[in-house]
Amino acid sequence: MRILRNLAQALRGLRLNKGNTLLMTLGVMIGIASLTVIVAIGEGTKSKVLNRIANLGFGPESFSVYSGAGRLFFGRNRNVTSMTLQDVDDIRAMPGVAIVVPRQRKRMRIINKKEFTTTRIYGVSPEWQPARQWKVVDGEFFNDMDMDRKRKVVVLGNTPARKLFGETDPLGKKIRVGQVFFEVIGLLETKGLTESGYDPDDRALIPLTTSMSRLFRQTHLHSIKVVSTHSEVVQQTMEGVTQVLRRNHGLSPLADDDFRFVTPEGIMQWVTESEQALNRMLLLISTVSLLVGGIVIMNILLVSIRERIREIGVRRCFGARRSDITQQFLFESVLVSLLGGAMGAMLGWVLSTALKHFDFLPARITLEPFILAFGFSMLVGLIFGIHPARKAACLSPDETIR
Amino acid sequence: MSISKIIEVDSINKTYKNEGLETNVLKGVSISVEEGDYISIIGPSGSGKSTLMTILGCLNQATSGTYLLDGEEVGKLGDRDLSRIRNEKIGFVFQAFHLLPGVSAFDNVMIPLIYCNKTPADAIERVKRALARVGLEHRMDHTPGQLSGGEQQRVTIARSLINDPKIVLADEPTGNLDSKNGAEIMNAFDHLNAEGRTIIVITHDPVVSEHARRILTLRDGEIVSDKINENFKESRAGLARTTIE
Ligand SMILES: Nc1ncnc2c1ncn2[C@@H]1O[C@H](COP(=O)(O)OP(=O)(O)O)[C@@H](O)[C@H]1O
Ligand SMILES: [Mg+2]
Repeated sequence: MRILRNLAQALRGLRLNKGNTLLMTLGVMIGIASLTVIVAIGEGTKSKVLNRIANLGFGPESFSVYSGAGRLFFGRNRNVTSMTLQDVDDIRAMPGVAIVVPRQRKRMRIINKKEFTTTRIYGVSPEWQPARQWKVVDGEFFNDMDMDRKRKVVVLGNTPARKLFGETDPLGKKIRVGQVFFEVIGLLETKGLTESGYDPDDRALIPLTTSMSRLFRQTHLHSIKVVSTHSEVVQQTMEGVTQVLRRNHGLSPLADDDFRFVTPEGIMQWVTESEQALNRMLLLISTVSLLVGGIVIMNILLVSIRERIREIGVRRCFGARRSDITQQFLFESVLVSLLGGAMGAMLGWVLSTALKHFDFLPARITLEPFILAFGFSMLVGLIFGIHPARKAACLSPDETIR
Repeated sequence: MSISKIIEVDSINKTYKNEGLETNVLKGVSISVEEGDYISIIGPSGSGKSTLMTILGCLNQATSGTYLLDGEEVGKLGDRDLSRIRNEKIGFVFQAFHLLPGVSAFDNVMIPLIYCNKTPADAIERVKRALARVGLEHRMDHTPGQLSGGEQQRVTIARSLINDPKIVLADEPTGNLDSKNGAEIMNAFDHLNAEGRTIIVITHDPVVSEHARRILTLRDGEIVSDKINENFKESRAGLARTTIE
């Protein structure tokens, strides 16, 4: 077939003009490499956040309300002290609410003789355990009596337990936090590191009353976890909680909330939004670099046509139609662009793998960017090849052989 | 025996326009060529010889006048038909050879076969035979840079013959060669004519034009003389008839 013979001539043309061929691939290569890397980072970030959600212990019928305005885990003001046990009592009295867990939270150093580590210390009510459904594998969780008596007892996650006690059994032992000694009464089941490196076992739990009066010495709460009776009433419950908190905190109708909700849907939506922002950036970067790559191809082809004017003339003398010349040069630009795309995809794959391997950024390699790379480089070759190809074809044959 | 006209050019003009400046290069040229004739076109530099050849070779169109080639009116044809005619009916030989650099002799000779409507099944054999005919079967894989001027011009002759054209058009084919290699090339043209092909050779070398049966002289875009060469050997017994078919 004539078109296949023109394809073969294009391949020969690329082989004979290796320098130009290499130059032409560069722009597309860079464009496609950045495209695949950005997609890999986007996918990696998404799976990291999704992992995080899975480890928050949210069921579809639960949500948290955090003290301070802001969004999700990103509070705008750390010094808000308006959330109190009054709020907890009022929420508990609302219809459709099954469990309410008040929480205080601080990162502090915990010490066992010469061993020490810094961990997240939560002051919570005993309902924490049924709300989170997190098993205690050794000893037991603190109860209402411990709460009432503000006892200095602690339930350890596996990470601090291992760091402080190694192989020995921590149960019944004392640990020190600041100037306060706590007795270890329980050990939480080990969850293990998430794929993204978050450690859910790095925590210690003490009774809320103890944290309020003996350790943190503050009455305001960090957050409240609410479990509804059914997932259908979650939305309604959140509206009720908003009203209760606004009233309790004395907010005027014009003032913003001084609390924020964290829900699985909220996190998912945030992931989706950041993904969209990322995709827009991706589109911009890859469009610009592919555009540059395409313009490079076009200009080098235009120069190379001037260099190869004799070749075009000879082909025309011996029977090449204008369409044959168009096809040959269009094949050259598409092939060169595809070659650049393939090299870019390979480079992108190597870079993404390296990012992931050295833990710089989360990266996840998927097939889509490689399919995109193929399509985009083909398109670039066609769009930016057509002008030089037509130009080569429209040269009058007698002028090309003079 | 009726001899058909393969080329009939009737009062063609060629005008180039460059930045508003008009140059009349050909002024009412009429030629008629019988099939199988051996013609030489001579004339001083700038007289319009190469321009005439590009028109005869369908590489360019006349500004006015008519040109019948093997019964087809060239002025009315489009790119597809002109390309077909160049591919099937005409073989070109140029002063500067015009071989593709970096491409083997074999692949250079192959070029006209790329643009055939149907590539012959025995394409490879044909290329080999064409190269053997010009004595270069042992140089098939050499690129133009690895060949002497005489060898390169022999490759172009093989290339011009690969599609078995009726007409061979040569523009100063010996211009870049020494006299020994030039004579060899002209000898090749004599053979091509002996097997019935129409040969048109443009030259300003009298030694070259002496090979032709008919000599046209062009001056300032006009044919000023049209003579039969007295020394042309009517007897072609000395030329072995060999074809590449
Ligand atoms: N494309 C062109 N544009 C303008 N003038 C041209 C062009 N091609 C040839 N000429 C002019 O036509 C004249 C004849 O050129 P040419 O046919 O090459 O003559 P010859 O081959 O006899 O030397 C010259 O004066 C040349 O400058
Ligand atoms: Mg000339």
